[in-house]
Amino acid sequence: MSPSEQNPASWLRLLVLAALMAGALPVNAQVVMVTAAAGPVETLSRSEAEQLYLGRRTTLDNGRAVSLLDLPIGAVRNAFYQQLTGKNPIQIRAYWSRQVFTGRALPPREARGIEEAREILVAEPNTIGYLPEAEIDSRLRILLRLP
Amino acid sequence: MKTLLLALMSLWALEVHATQSDMLDLSGFATLGVAVTDRNDTRFSRVGFDHPGDQNPDFGPDSVLGIQANWRFSPQAAAVLQVLSRESPRGSYMPRPTLAFFSYQLDPALTVRLGRMRGPFFMFSDTIDINYAQPWIRSPIEVYGLNPYVDLDGVDLLYRTRIRNVDIEVHPYFGSSRIDVFEDGESRLKGIIGMNLALSSGDLSIHAGYSSADQKLQWSDPLHDWLQGALRRTEGGVPFAEQMSGSDGRARFASAGFQWDNGRWLLIGEYARRKVSQNANSAHGWYLTAGRRFGTVIPYLTYARQIQDEAIVDIPPASELSAAVEYFNASRNLAQRSVTAGVRWDFADNAALKAELMRAETADGASGSFYSFDTSTSALVRGRTVNVLSVSIDVTF
Repeated sequence: MSPSEQNPASWLRLLVLAALMAGALPVNAQVVMVTAAAGPVETLSRSEAEQLYLGRRTTLDNGRAVSLLDLPIGAVRNAFYQQLTGKNPIQIRAYWSRQVFTGRALPPREARGIEEAREILVAEPNTIGYLPEAEIDSRLRILLRLP
Repeated sequence: MKTLLLALMSLWALEVHATQSDMLDLSGFATLGVAVTDRNDTRFSRVGFDHPGDQNPDFGPDSVLGIQANWRFSPQAAAVLQVLSRESPRGSYMPRPTLAFFSYQLDPALTVRLGRMRGPFFMFSDTIDINYAQPWIRSPIEVYGLNPYVDLDGVDLLYRTRIRNVDIEVHPYFGSSRIDVFEDGESRLKGIIGMNLALSSGDLSIHAGYSSADQKLQWSDPLHDWLQGALRRTEGGVPFAEQMSGSDGRARFASAGFQWDNGRWLLIGEYARRKVSQNANSAHGWYLTAGRRFGTVIPYLTYARQIQDEAIVDIPPASELSAAVEYFNASRNLAQRSVTAGVRWDFADNAALKAELMRAETADGASGSFYSFDTSTSALVRGRTVNVLSVSIDVTF
């Protein structure tokens, strides 16, 4: 029934594949949390950011409700969650599936890519997100540097 | 009333949705799972959740499909509707609402919810059908079989805060719940009052919960119906018959557990107890799981045990029905111990393949999590060893 339990060769293949995938993550990429430079969000603590991106709150300490933006699944997003929450991509996906399907929280809105994320952040000033530092322009304000 | 509320909610939501398109969020989850035992006369069953004893291999215990719609009306107000299909104790896959509630954020830390939520009795009760969120194919039945009530119809409060680096969630709830019972029975909890406390910090999460409710349980299956009648016709048998089914039961559930997951090692443990005054047995259970991640693959090992504290019906002294009562008790006693070796492989984004081999040893006088076609009285009275192989694929979308 189950190749992974009965066949040692397929076990080995899985482990090799797993090791390759784990090694492919650039965990040291410089990711920064940003918002619109003209927007109302002026500061963001690491603790606020962590709770927001774990769905444990939807507002800042000052009571302001903010929208969150995610990048598509990929190296930058993985590095962001690893650095902010200490959870790897598999942990974070399982964690968020629990938040969503128990009706506790909605996941951040997902941009199609870095370009779109930048446009949304500029156009919707109550939104916070994250980008590689090299992708920041003058329309954006850096709130927090990770790690 | 509930149906009406649901219909109104859907209409309102659609109305609002029509005017503003990014308020609605659709998502879903599914598991295709199969379980097979190594004995021809024995079927694996998630007693209380599925329809026991259909096929071997059986797709009933673990397969599930859920679709969810989230609406956000304002930064404070939201609604969720989740419809789910899985095998019921009566063998039906008819979809039914498993989440249907309004939520309102009274304060940044405090949310009130009204409608149908998932019964939050134990640590993983609210993800009992969301297998992707859990490492196992199914949450350990020795603990989760202690409470088959999956819905909470009522109101709850979620208070979430952070003190230093500890996230705290206080979750009081109030409501009722109803389930079908194999074959034509039903069971209700009324006046449920409960409270959960969850603390998490870094890699560690701790859960504690307690609840109590009035329970009305009506068994309806050939064995129950026959024995109920036979006891009532026997001199002095009525008090024993009254212990079997009825409306004046009192149920209490308590649980405490922890999860520790540092990204490489995973440890999960939980203890739970149910104490029921009549119509169902009182029992406690616990499990311990240890796993180790190798990239996308996590092999794990679980030891789990359930022990009966008090049987449903007292054995009538020196009666010709004593053996039948003993059999009745055994058929509703899930006590067993099991060792499970499993592996989860996250082979794609939002998809996991799992395989588990469980070796279960039922306690003497217990059917454990198995349905037996061997109806001789002796079959359930002595413990048996059964191996169950399960394979499943979980996806979220």
